[in-house]
Amino acid sequence: MSDDRAELLQGTLEMLVLRTLALEPMHGWGIAQRIQQMSKDVFLIAQGSLYPALIRMKRRGWVRTSWRTTENNRRARYYELTAAGERQLAAERVIWSRSSTAVNWIMNARWTAGGSPA
Amino acid sequence: MSAFSDLVERLRAIVFRGREERELREELRFHVDMEAQQNARGGMDDGEARRRSFIALGGIERVKEDVRDARGTRLVEDVVADIVFTLRTLARSPGFAIVAILTLGLGIGGTTAVYSAVDAVLLQPLPYQQPGQLVRLYQSYVGRSDDRSFVTPVHFLDFRTRLSSFETAAAIYTYSESGADIGAGDGVRRIRLMPVSAGYFDVVRVHPALGHGFQSQDENGAPVVVLSHDLWGRQFHADGAVVGQVLVMNGKPYTVAGVMPQGFADPVAGSVDAWVPMDLGPGRDTKNATNHYLTVIARLRAGVTVAHAQAELDLLDLSLAKTYPDAVRARARLYPLKEDIVGSSSRALEIMLGAVALVLVLVCVNIANLLLVRGSERAREFSLRLALGAGRGRLVRQMLMESLTLALAGDIAGLVIARVAMSAIVALGSGSIPRLATLSLEPRLLAFSLAIASVSAIGFGLAPALRAGRTEPGDVLREQGRATTSGGAQMRLREWLVVSQVALAFVLLVGAGLLIASFQRLRQVDLGIQPEAALVFELNLPPVRYDSTARARFYEAFAKRVEGLGGVRAAGGVSKLPATGPYNEWNATALTGPLANTDRANPGAQQRVISGDYFRAAGIPVLEGRAFDSRDDPSAPKRLLVSKSLALQLFPGMSAIGQRLRAGPANGEIIGVVGDVALDAQGHAARYVYHAHTQFAGDRNWALVQVIRTNGSLNLLQAETRRLLAELDPQLVMYKPMALADAIGRGEAQRVFTLRILASFALVALALAALGLFGVLSYGVRLRAREFGIRMALGAEAGAIRRMVLRQGLAVTAIGIAIGLLGTFALARLMASVVFRVSPLEPVVLLGAVFFMAVVAGIAAYLPAHRATAADPRTVLQ
Repeated sequence: MSDDRAELLQGTLEMLVLRTLALEPMHGWGIAQRIQQMSKDVFLIAQGSLYPALIRMKRRGWVRTSWRTTENNRRARYYELTAAGERQLAAERVIWSRSSTAVNWIMNARWTAGGSPA
Repeated sequence: MSAFSDLVERLRAIVFRGREERELREELRFHVDMEAQQNARGGMDDGEARRRSFIALGGIERVKEDVRDARGTRLVEDVVADIVFTLRTLARSPGFAIVAILTLGLGIGGTTAVYSAVDAVLLQPLPYQQPGQLVRLYQSYVGRSDDRSFVTPVHFLDFRTRLSSFETAAAIYTYSESGADIGAGDGVRRIRLMPVSAGYFDVVRVHPALGHGFQSQDENGAPVVVLSHDLWGRQFHADGAVVGQVLVMNGKPYTVAGVMPQGFADPVAGSVDAWVPMDLGPGRDTKNATNHYLTVIARLRAGVTVAHAQAELDLLDLSLAKTYPDAVRARARLYPLKEDIVGSSSRALEIMLGAVALVLVLVCVNIANLLLVRGSERAREFSLRLALGAGRGRLVRQMLMESLTLALAGDIAGLVIARVAMSAIVALGSGSIPRLATLSLEPRLLAFSLAIASVSAIGFGLAPALRAGRTEPGDVLREQGRATTSGGAQMRLREWLVVSQVALAFVLLVGAGLLIASFQRLRQVDLGIQPEAALVFELNLPPVRYDSTARARFYEAFAKRVEGLGGVRAAGGVSKLPATGPYNEWNATALTGPLANTDRANPGAQQRVISGDYFRAAGIPVLEGRAFDSRDDPSAPKRLLVSKSLALQLFPGMSAIGQRLRAGPANGEIIGVVGDVALDAQGHAARYVYHAHTQFAGDRNWALVQVIRTNGSLNLLQAETRRLLAELDPQLVMYKPMALADAIGRGEAQRVFTLRILASFALVALALAALGLFGVLSYGVRLRAREFGIRMALGAEAGAIRRMVLRQGLAVTAIGIAIGLLGTFALARLMASVVFRVSPLEPVVLLGAVFFMAVVAGIAAYLPAHRATAADPRTVLQ
């Protein structure tokens, strides 16, 4: 495995799962794969933390589950976004873009000797 | 919306827990399979591909636990698991569970029951309005405040009218029990009747629920009656129009004036069936200023203190002393009514309360000990589980659950035991302890002892878990694996707990021993009669159908007829049984002899009116002269018998036979001297004058108690006598038939009551102390099994090891006994007031208690000692 992989930012796992599920309903392993692919293999999510997160999201009513058959003819639990989940995704998207912009401002700012931003 | 779905999800997870778990397993298996397939596609072999896929997931069980946490049902699931686990653990050591539950149950149950009794009798105020204003009035000799005599009717009338401190005062006739026969034919029975003065209902501030009480013009013994609620129901079927109807008592018609409310009981006499107005006529005859027979209760005016009322009374006394110079015993004293009623029982109840407190402490100590032992036994288990990754919180929670379960089971056992003990206490003490009949479990106290026991169970149960939570698992595991001798500090704490148990149990043992010794001495007291093999019952001849001549004739004839029954040796009657307390104390003045008409010749003497062959029936020897017989009829000159001590006092150095004596209204010749009999069951001495009923029947209706001595069975005699009585007059009642021994023992019922309670507490305490000792020694032996094994393998003798364990147990016991001895010295003064002719530090009792304690401790120590050497060293050391 390559060394340029990054730990997932704290608290972003649920948002990423929501985003993944916005495309189509998916089973747990598929969600992990999809996040990895979509992050161009930068994020390696700890698969063990995925399932507790899914349960929590289900409790909050963001996802619903159903047992379906995969293309390989195996039974798997599929997770699907609910209307509440879509609202949550939209809300998190707003928060994320605002805070990532802010983080970028801070990271890219130049500092003078006087200590105030240029 | 979200909160709702959250709740639904959690509930679903709990209800369908099995399915959730199955699905989780399947989901994770699917995940691992997919990951492994992908790894295999990357060129790994199958085994490596699977291994990697598990690693990527981070351990199946870990994930499962995390998911379970995420479900938010963790707490409920754990609690359920804890309960199941607790029940399983307790079932694995049923001995421990049973002992703990029984200990708690005894503590809670015994304490609550006994304390409720104390509460009902001592602590609750009288069930009347403003009970603090109620007082009782006694008369006594000047300067003898311990003397509490009844009040004369003459003084009562003065007190009632001339004291401004009294709102009202009432005289009650409780001096001897008055009864009345009601009904006819088969339905004839005797009821408790109480003559009262008109102010009675005002003093207690309880008035008839129907009708009215008595007026002052009724105080000539008017034929009106107030019924108890019970009698109204039984005799008049709770007829609302009962007022004005007629109740025939003793053959005489009484008009019903009223019905008392349900539950009303007299403060002094307890349950009474009917009240009639007292005849206060004698109060207007100054001759009766020395005739003490009234119980006087009064209600003080609002704001008047007892001291203030007493001051006013003292002033009045001075002027009355001039008016009635003969009244030497007329100094009046007031006592709060409640203190008066409970006074005699309070010391016994205080001691019982002390015993209860000791037992409660013992229970807590025992529980502490049990749980600490169990806790250290499980230290290893806890360490192991901690090492395997169990959460410390989880361990604590599980111990909490176990303690809670024990506490709850103990509480339930306590409730059951409390109920049983309560009925036992009521059965034991009713009749001798006033107001015990009103006993019910005191809810606050029940809550208190439940709390105490539960807290101690939970507290001591939790301690080991908390300690396990602090220690490093490795240390404990290492220590326990190798330990040969017990861990010092803990063992010492437990030994001290056992020491305190032994000490407490010892104090209780001594207390019980003292009471048992007192009781034995009491039994050995020579009362001057032969209490065995005699039947007694009261036989009232209603004056309406029997005038005094008929009464005199009937009692004599009845005694003769009874003596004709098989096995009967003698039959007679007496106005009050010996050794059952004072009654009719009159001045006895020698009219002849050296002390004739001097002051010294005027001692008070108990008067008894007798019929038939009373002396032989009661077993009293005639020492000189003769007993009454058919010669002493009403036409003969008045003749008297005296007891030996009275004869010696009035006629020193000479025979009393032929001398003359004045006793109350009687003035006669002494024809015989009989043996002394005691005044009460404690054997207090008294002087007696005996009157022949045939000559004295006109004085009043004496309602003689019949005494029948037999060679045969009392039950048979009772049936035959009843048959005979019905033959003679079917309307007469054989009232309260019982063995003479029981009749004279009744005065001691309170002592027996205290004795039984304290004895059972002492046994419980002894059992608890033995259990504690046994527990600690057994635990010590278990811990040192390895050491003993090594010693024996190295050639130590089994006997030496047994002696070592025994020595340890007996050392603990000896220290406990020494401390307990100090305790008994400290409590000697308290016990002095309840023991009878026994020193509170009676050596025999102390030695007995030491011996008893040592034997029980020896047994408790021997069993573990035996076990210490019973095991084969090879198995222990493996």
